[in-house]
Amino acid sequence: MRLRFGALAYSFVFFLRTAASTHGRFATRDAPFDQVREIPERSHQDADEDEPEKYFHESTFSMHYDGRFADKQLNYNERRSSLTALMQTYVSTMNDIGAETWIMHGSLLGWYWSRKTLPWDLDIDVMVSEQSIHHLANYYNMTVHTFSLSDRNTEDGENRSSSYMLEINPHYTNSTLDSVNKIDARWIDTSTGLFIDITTLRRNSTAQALGCPDAMMVKDTHHYNYDDIFPLRQSTFEGYPVQIPYAYAELLMEEYGAKALSEVYFQNHRFDPGRGEWMALRYAEFVRLRDEGVVFDAKFWDAGAICKDFGTCGNYRNPVDSVSLPASSGERDGDEDENETAVHSQQATAEHNKPSSGAQTEDSVLSSRLLEQRRRASQRWQA
Amino acid sequence: MTEQKMETREDERKMDYSRNEGNTHPEYSPSLLIDRVANGWRGEVKTDSGDDREAGPCDLEDEGSCPNISRRIIRQRRSRRMLALGLLLVALAYYAWQAYLRPRMQQEWDLKEGFLPGRVNETYGIAHAGDFDGTRIQDIHPDLVPGGAADHKGKRRLVFVGDIHGCKEELLHLLSKVDFDPATDHLVATGDVVSKGPDSPGVLDELIKLGAQSVRGNHEDRLVQAAKTVLGKNVPLSSAADTSKGYSKDQVLLMELKPKHMHYLHDMPLMLRIPALPLAKKKGKHHIRDEMIVVHAGLVPHVPLDRQDPYFVMNMRSIDHKTHVPSALHETERGNSEPWFDVWGWYQERLDRGRSTSAFHVYSHAEWLENQAPNGWLGKLRGLLVTKPMRKLKPQVAVYGHDSKMGLQVHRWSKGLDSACVSGGQLTAMLLDAKGKTEIVQVECKNHT
Repeated sequence: MRLRFGALAYSFVFFLRTAASTHGRFATRDAPFDQVREIPERSHQDADEDEPEKYFHESTFSMHYDGRFADKQLNYNERRSSLTALMQTYVSTMNDIGAETWIMHGSLLGWYWSRKTLPWDLDIDVMVSEQSIHHLANYYNMTVHTFSLSDRNTEDGENRSSSYMLEINPHYTNSTLDSVNKIDARWIDTSTGLFIDITTLRRNSTAQALGCPDAMMVKDTHHYNYDDIFPLRQSTFEGYPVQIPYAYAELLMEEYGAKALSEVYFQNHRFDPGRGEWMALRYAEFVRLRDEGVVFDAKFWDAGAICKDFGTCGNYRNPVDSVSLPASSGERDGDEDENETAVHSQQATAEHNKPSSGAQTEDSVLSSRLLEQRRRASQRWQA
Repeated sequence: MTEQKMETREDERKMDYSRNEGNTHPEYSPSLLIDRVANGWRGEVKTDSGDDREAGPCDLEDEGSCPNISRRIIRQRRSRRMLALGLLLVALAYYAWQAYLRPRMQQEWDLKEGFLPGRVNETYGIAHAGDFDGTRIQDIHPDLVPGGAADHKGKRRLVFVGDIHGCKEELLHLLSKVDFDPATDHLVATGDVVSKGPDSPGVLDELIKLGAQSVRGNHEDRLVQAAKTVLGKNVPLSSAADTSKGYSKDQVLLMELKPKHMHYLHDMPLMLRIPALPLAKKKGKHHIRDEMIVVHAGLVPHVPLDRQDPYFVMNMRSIDHKTHVPSALHETERGNSEPWFDVWGWYQERLDRGRSTSAFHVYSHAEWLENQAPNGWLGKLRGLLVTKPMRKLKPQVAVYGHDSKMGLQVHRWSKGLDSACVSGGQLTAMLLDAKGKTEIVQVECKNHT
């Protein structure tokens, strides 16, 4: 008797849940693996059972990968080229759609230093305006955009096709702070599992009620003034035209401190002003420079001196040929000359020989078209 | 010989006497004092028995030891006076050190620190920094330079004006006060000629009519950037509720401005350079005889002009004295802020005196190679005779506005001309004649905020 009642109750609840889902209530978690799978055999997505309200989930092996599309992390060089492609395709698509978006946080810092993503950065940060997220949600949710990326790896210039999915978090309509649903949308690379977190800049109604009329907020607890972001500036990033917040320098200093605008040795990398890029150092070189308190200018300008000390001159020129480095400076390995690989799971010793210095998206015609659009837009007021 | 014999005989006599008498007590001595004198001491050998430790100079028993001598000295009045005087001098010296010397040395070091590599692993001016959509550095037309090629008699003047902010009436009043003559005078504004005030299009019209120049300020920058999204599109203007108070006001202003105004705003360079006046005397501190750079907010010293971040050139009020990173605030959280013109002035003063900057930061590989000090005394000697520094560093005078809180700031190497006209202060003009002499003229302003 009891068993039957239990079974009845359970089936009643099950019925309610399915009925509810078919009655148009929004999904509680991201699209099921079966509906979106590409390469992996099974889903590596973290179930996050302790947070049932959370929509987006990450993989079990890393929080910067989507487990439905990846089963392992990429190495240093592959990650760099994938992130570049991710950025370029995102910018291109948003421009075509007409959505207002701009780069922030780590990507803004990379823009400031070298107009490229910082090499140790594991993700890309962008923001959209409220009107844009509504537009994207209404018309572009769960759309997949395919690009043909030419890999410079292969000699015959074979193109590999890569798809990018735009997934919108239904909780984007909720403007209050939400500890589990901070990200409003994702631009996911379905071949590697990397993604861009898209957040929305909203009006901060609580602050406005308290008397700060221009206060804006983001659900990941950042706060800004309207005048710090708008009017947006036009610039380029990774060779593509992007928009930059107005008071970029102040936003960077507030978030990362003034050190971020001036420190030239960071995270196993050193900024090379001659090339205008961050170059990877072997961990031992980095430690030596840091611990010896090496005079800034002496080694800074004479990059050759470092490689001569360590016998790595051939490798130093092209960071792509150099070894894969750990992202954090936790390595303790004294045998620098022999040490070819870092220990973490994101390595592949064979891969580092292939120079893959950035995949290009479908057309450089595409990027020049965007630049042309921008130029025409800036000339409009001159009419 | 006889004395000796006599003495011994005396001794014998005494000894006999004492033996005979059988007494050893001194009080029972004979009446003659001389008999009491004994010469037994001649046979004694002086030993330091019983006193193992070296009392040395501090032996209180000894008459010649330190404590005894000191005590004798202190008892004397003259030495007491000298001692008091000595203590007073020491106190004065300590006070002078604490109150004057030490802060000045500290300040000097604070200002110098940011230029030296090796102090911290960071410096400003290395990153790519922001873009500027316009001319970064513009040189003033040679015909407009007082005492220049077109002005041998030295009749021309330059009139620099601080942040006008659309106060047309006050501008006209100021121009009449300085007897502005368009034939011989050239007006240079330090940016922020529009926004906040009552008549921005009027001010722009006036400037265009006079052929005046201005550098781009932060408010002009806002307008130029906003114009790219606002103008030319048939969208209704957003209200302040959708955007912000400042942004909606900018939009209203943009609607009022005509294309020629927008051209004028867009043509404003980031920095304006005026060469050293040919007719100015080469020596002397009370006139301007060096190159002048006009910017809106400020410059970081020693960093080449093309490496300065445009955002900071239009917004800075202070710089961190250790890393030279500027800030739009007067005081940052990190707490190392100095007013930018203090560090600038220190640096220009050093250049003016001809002191070397070879130990300072460099900003290109070529410069660094040049600076490589030759080793050894022979190399150094050769270096003294032969080197030509790559960057010929001459001092420059900066003319700027933007900082209404600090008001008028006239120093030798920097002239801050924003005296808060739009909020009821004064509108300031600095006149520069062909000899390099400057004069400050001000008019009162109404409060338009």
